Amino acid sequence: MIESAFVQTAIRLILLGLVSLLIPASWRVIVGATLPDRLQAVDLITTLLIGIIVMLALVEGTQGFVDMAIALAAFAFVGTISIARYISEGRVF
Amino acid sequence: MLLEIVGVGALVFGLFFCAVGVLGVIRMPDSLTRLHASGKVATLGLFGLLVGAAILMPSIFFKILALGLFVLLTSPVATHAIAAAEYRRTEIVEELVEMEAAEDELDTTAVDISGFLSRSRIQDIIEAQQRVLHLSAEDRENGDG
Repeated sequence: MIESAFVQTAIRLILLGLVSLLIPASWRVIVGATLPDRLQAVDLITTLLIGIIVMLALVEGTQGFVDMAIALAAFAFVGTISIARYISEGRVF
Repeated sequence: MLLEIVGVGALVFGLFFCAVGVLGVIRMPDSLTRLHASGKVATLGLFGLLVGAAILMPSIFFKILALGLFVLLTSPVATHAIAAAEYRRTEIVEELVEMEAAEDELDTTAVDISGFLSRSRIQDIIEAQQRVLHLSAEDRENGDG
């Protein structure tokens, strides 16, 4: 846990900024003209979520959130690769 | 105190690049240019946030290091896969449009094919027809022989 009030306020403001960035990214998921656009926007949202989880770890002062972020990064990578392969090849495997 | 200012500065740097990347994803006109913008979020933006977190909370330094290395390795690969998928998809769409154009050409020239068309033009039309009928190269050679 970080005691400094300055750092706590700054972290909370940055967390607010990151969360508000999710809204335009999900607008691109809904509107996105083609399938790769949507996939790319979903990938962007997962990247932002990793940042949000790391910020939560700073707010709470617990290490467990970073493990969650690592697991989310791994699953996001596998999902993005398989969906991109499905778009280009028409099948996953 | 200095360390805290440096850490918050790194966090602000990361937030700035995240905002710029999301803005590019909204505003860019093309799919590949949007991809270029969203690549910045994964490398510069997230890396700034991770560096800031490692400076502000040294107890999670090694986990942050593992996460940063993993993201730095996998994010360009994912971006490249999406770009390749987009390129391949546009290729398929162009091929389909070309095939439809070939079909239209067949319909319009079927009446007056004998008179004034050159030999190479007739060859083109025959090839377009065979492409429409999904004949492979071996079938075409066998049919001619």
